[in-house]
Amino acid sequence: MSHVVPLLQARQVVASRPSESGQLQRVLQETTLEVGAGEVLAVIGPSGSGKSSLLRLFNRLLEPDRGEILLAGEDIKNISPPALRARIPLVAQKLFLFPGTVRDNLQITAKLRRTALPDLNTPELLELLELCHVDSAWLDRDARKLSVGQQQRVCLARAMVGPCQALLLDEPTSALDRPTADQLALTFRQLAREKGLAIVFVTHDLRLTERCADRIAFLVNGAVVEEGSVNQILNHPATAEVRSFLSPELSGDVEVTR
Amino acid sequence: MNTTIIDLSLWDLLTVYSLLLMSIGLAHLLKAGQSKDLFWSGLRMFVQLLVVGYVLHLIFALKTALPVLLILIVMIGFAVQTIGARVKTKMPHFYRVVGTAILFGCGGMTFFFCTLVIGLEPWYDPRYLIPLSGMIIGNSMTGASLAVERLAAEFHERRDEIETALCLGGSIQAVSEPAVSSAFRAALIPSVNAMAAMGLVFLPGMMTGQILSGTEPLIAVKYQIAIMCVITGSVSLTTFLILRLGYRAYFTPYQSLRED
Repeated sequence: MSHVVPLLQARQVVASRPSESGQLQRVLQETTLEVGAGEVLAVIGPSGSGKSSLLRLFNRLLEPDRGEILLAGEDIKNISPPALRARIPLVAQKLFLFPGTVRDNLQITAKLRRTALPDLNTPELLELLELCHVDSAWLDRDARKLSVGQQQRVCLARAMVGPCQALLLDEPTSALDRPTADQLALTFRQLAREKGLAIVFVTHDLRLTERCADRIAFLVNGAVVEEGSVNQILNHPATAEVRSFLSPELSGDVEVTR
Repeated sequence: MNTTIIDLSLWDLLTVYSLLLMSIGLAHLLKAGQSKDLFWSGLRMFVQLLVVGYVLHLIFALKTALPVLLILIVMIGFAVQTIGARVKTKMPHFYRVVGTAILFGCGGMTFFFCTLVIGLEPWYDPRYLIPLSGMIIGNSMTGASLAVERLAAEFHERRDEIETALCLGGSIQAVSEPAVSSAFRAALIPSVNAMAAMGLVFLPGMMTGQILSGTEPLIAVKYQIAIMCVITGSVSLTTFLILRLGYRAYFTPYQSLRED
């Protein structure tokens, strides 16, 4: 998918975050990445390699020390953070549903952005709910009483109400069982293909990656050590880091489900 | 109705201090371990109030505004300091935020009451200004600490919620709304309870004091009603200012939550 126009670009981004002890710690060094519209990028790597920080940089939850990040060619520094986050929402690993019904949760986006409440019966919204596999029968149910898989789908749909161009997902399948995760992989593919979204997800789940990603960026210690097509990285890894990550017997802390 | 005030002699004071000795004895009997605290705080009260009595005696004789204003500034300083000591998790820029809010909130309300309502002559008459602003600042101090504590707790407990709301494109004002309104509620609860219970459960201190010193009860009641309204006004204005200035301190300039 290298012919697509890059929708999201990170150029030589360097970033730091305060560590447990309060000291600034470099979490990303000279990272250059791009994702096109309709493309799915999986960011993999050992824990603490800067994967989540990378996601937070894309929607300015974290500000880079150096380098620039572009959305459709525009430096995100020139976009107000709320407007930017409406265009590139992030769905966190820890799902948070606001108290109330599924409908309330889908409408809260508009309340937070101080825009008119969306009519959940418009063709676009019904299409969005269908794409995310949010059953319209759930709308009046207590959002917190749904299963985790259903909650994940509500969070996904909630994030995309509005001018969404790209999706950032942090460990989207970490709380899901295998069949539910497989369904979600299909959903991501559909969202990228049918809505032309750029999707970046961070994961430990190689099966999810195989099923829906176009490309993989492999992060170690805040640097991209390998980047390429899913086939290339998973079947012909060039570096020792990736090879040891992919062979379960050598990487104790990683859950490999293949 | 106007009676002369019965002064208390030194002997009378010693008689009531015997009650403190009794409390110390009872605390000792129950091994509450408070005997020392009771003794020292009893002594501190004696010394502090005696000093205040003499200071007030001198202040009431003042014929210029400047020293009275200085005293008010010192009172505000102590109030901010007290809040700082009581509040464990301080928001960023704590002293600047709280100081500004108390200065404008309490100062504004005191000025409103003394000038526009009572119509003090001269406007700085320390006999009215000092005790009234003491009550106003003291109550606002309590309300402000409750608000500041509640706000910190809300931002801590609601971290996931606030971050989710930010990720959905909420402005910092919109995402802070639940935390800010909860903090405001917390600050006003004592005022609401006090007003509702007033006269039924207890007779308020200022009114009791005025009645004891010979004021006609209806006048004392009117003063009590007025001061309660002013206190509630001051608590809400001070808290409002603290929250308006304070919630922003939890965010970075690019509108993300500061690290805990």
